[in-house]
Amino acid sequence: MNRPAIRVENLRKRYGDTVAVDDLSLRVEQGEVLGILGTNGAGKTTTVELIAGLRAPDGGRVTVMGLDPWRDRAAVRQILGVQLQEAQLHDALTVAELVDLYRSFYPAPRPRDELLELVELTKQRDTRFSRLSGGQAQRLSIALALAGRPRVVILDELTTGLDPRARRRMWATVEQLTEETVVLVSHAMDEVERLCDRVALVRAGRVAALGTPAELVRTAGAADLDEAFLALTGERLGESEEEEEAA
Amino acid sequence: MTSQTATAERSPAPAHPGARSWLLLAVCEAKMVIRDTAGLIVPFGLPVLILVMSASSASETVITGGRTALDIHVIPLVFTMVVGLIGVVNTPSFLSAYRRTGVLRRLGTTPASPAMVLVAQVAVGVVQAVLGMAVAFGAAVLFFGAKPPIDTGAALGALALGIAVMFALGMVVAAVAPTPNSALAMGLVAYLGLGALGGMFGGKESLPDGVARVGEWLPFGAAVDVLSSAWAGEGVPGPQMAVLAATAAASAVIAAVFFRWE
Repeated sequence: MNRPAIRVENLRKRYGDTVAVDDLSLRVEQGEVLGILGTNGAGKTTTVELIAGLRAPDGGRVTVMGLDPWRDRAAVRQILGVQLQEAQLHDALTVAELVDLYRSFYPAPRPRDELLELVELTKQRDTRFSRLSGGQAQRLSIALALAGRPRVVILDELTTGLDPRARRRMWATVEQLTEETVVLVSHAMDEVERLCDRVALVRAGRVAALGTPAELVRTAGAADLDEAFLALTGERLGESEEEEEAA
Repeated sequence: MTSQTATAERSPAPAHPGARSWLLLAVCEAKMVIRDTAGLIVPFGLPVLILVMSASSASETVITGGRTALDIHVIPLVFTMVVGLIGVVNTPSFLSAYRRTGVLRRLGTTPASPAMVLVAQVAVGVVQAVLGMAVAFGAAVLFFGAKPPIDTGAALGALALGIAVMFALGMVVAAVAPTPNSALAMGLVAYLGLGALGGMFGGKESLPDGVARVGEWLPFGAAVDVLSSAWAGEGVPGPQMAVLAATAAASAVIAAVFFRWE
């Protein structure tokens, strides 16, 4: 068996009295697309931040391609691309300027035109970040996450707040990532079902169940993944307010 | 599931972003400033305004060596105000806004280091300050007959120290202020407080003696004094320059220790 791309063992993180991640373990194999699915507050984003080395864990262990993202931060940042939920960019810079800036951080970046084409932003290359639509900004964010030819890509709440058409375009972009290991954090069932090889259902900072969408449905004796989620976590995966507004 | 090669090589030693990347980030920061036209009023408009308000009377009072009150008092004060405003107030609010909107958090996931962002910001701020001072000095020479410093070397040294101390203080503000508004508030309080003690409002003479003595050793007052000495050719006030250098170094260390991405 190959070394996993990401290994998370007994991870714990609390903020004051709130336990965000409570003894969470999972393994992401190289080349797979793993979905992390959970309701708001289940600990998804904290898990991502711990994997990306943006925070130090209180307990447990994370490795990315065998490296510790907190202690070997510099090395991990060369091989890990992260698209963060709600992170902004320099708003007066154009798409091309931002792509070139982020490319300059890495020793062997992907060509600018290739990145722009991948996320369908070639026509917007001279548009300032502040003038991009929500979907365009998210696609640019993916392009920046891919700029350094990462081995592992984390996409956090990729399509939250986007309209249905923009969501489908985003999915098409993700489907092109065949070389990379992808961790897709989401609270949208359809998205995870379509894009992910395996799905981790996260509840209250722990992995409640892990498997392919079909396995999860079978284990729960459910009709679909939505029902399986309810059966395995005891929670209903509600649509977020942003999505209702966008729909 | 596509399976990749099993070669479990450890990653090569992290190649930090090179000089080209540092330069590019500085260019990007400069574009941010230039495209925010209103942001150019402070470095270029304000110094000229202050100069015009006080220059004509000061340019008639000769103090020493053919240098007038304009040369020895007004210009050092205007220079220090420009550097202080950009260093202590403007630059930290920019950085703080980046933190609030997640720009720094996003950069924090890349190999770009905190030092890169700070250096790029400071470089752009220093260029603005130098241009602002050049415009002000040019106007002073052209319209009010201002003269260059008697001791040019000391003036350049004093200027460099003044820039270093103001930007280092600004970096402390940027590092510790939790929000853009608090950065602006902290920066303004620091700037106005140091300025008041350093004779920004009506000169040192209007301050109580004890307060003026303290103010001379604080960044604003010391920077005005060392510039003033250079203009008058009175030699280098070593102790004040040493205090400026020490304050700048200590502030830079504090800023580096406390800097946060979010």
